[in-house]
Amino acid sequence: MTADKKSRGNVEGKGSGGDAARPVAKMLLVVSWLLPGLGHWLLGKRVRAGVFAAVVTASFITGIFLHGEIAIPQQSSPLSWFFTFGCIGNGMLYFIRLLWVNGLDGLFSASFPYGLSGGGDPVAAGFFYGKTFLYTAGLMNLLVVLDVYDIARGDKS
Amino acid sequence: MDHFLLLFWHALLVAVFFAFLWRSDSRGRRALFLKTFLIMFVGAIALGWLMFPFP
Repeated sequence: MTADKKSRGNVEGKGSGGDAARPVAKMLLVVSWLLPGLGHWLLGKRVRAGVFAAVVTASFITGIFLHGEIAIPQQSSPLSWFFTFGCIGNGMLYFIRLLWVNGLDGLFSASFPYGLSGGGDPVAAGFFYGKTFLYTAGLMNLLVVLDVYDIARGDKS
Repeated sequence: MDHFLLLFWHALLVAVFFAFLWRSDSRGRRALFLKTFLIMFVGAIALGWLMFPFP
């Protein structure tokens, strides 16, 4: 193991060595994406975990209550994939909402991933505000995921 | 639906988020929270007010 690898903190510094521990950092990345805050919690950053979980969830729920629509890919609009990527950042919250709106049958239709409904009510006064909250929550959680990865690799405390 | 309240809520959530993401000491968090929150909240109101003269 090189000196550079030895100097790396948390996950790679523990256990049998850097290369062996690298999958742990990747696993934390996935866990953190699926459940906002869980990655920090597992790394022992309990306060940050609580704050991130609360902020992302509160933002997502606000978006839903404002009748916002979660982003879904649309065949006619390639840019919709970017919005979807941002919104998928919500992890489990996104998939629960998708399931809630479409049901199991709708989710696994023949045209998947096209033809799904993102919920929401375009006529509602809060529609665009809701979308903003939903996208913000997703993008914030993506930043949380990157933060977890940095901490796990020892690049950040 | 109160737009002002939504502006406040959104600014609050984002400011808290970045304060905890980018700072690790409580003093730094407080300072960044205040700065971010005021820029978004007061800045949006000021910008909206400045836009009044334009059609």
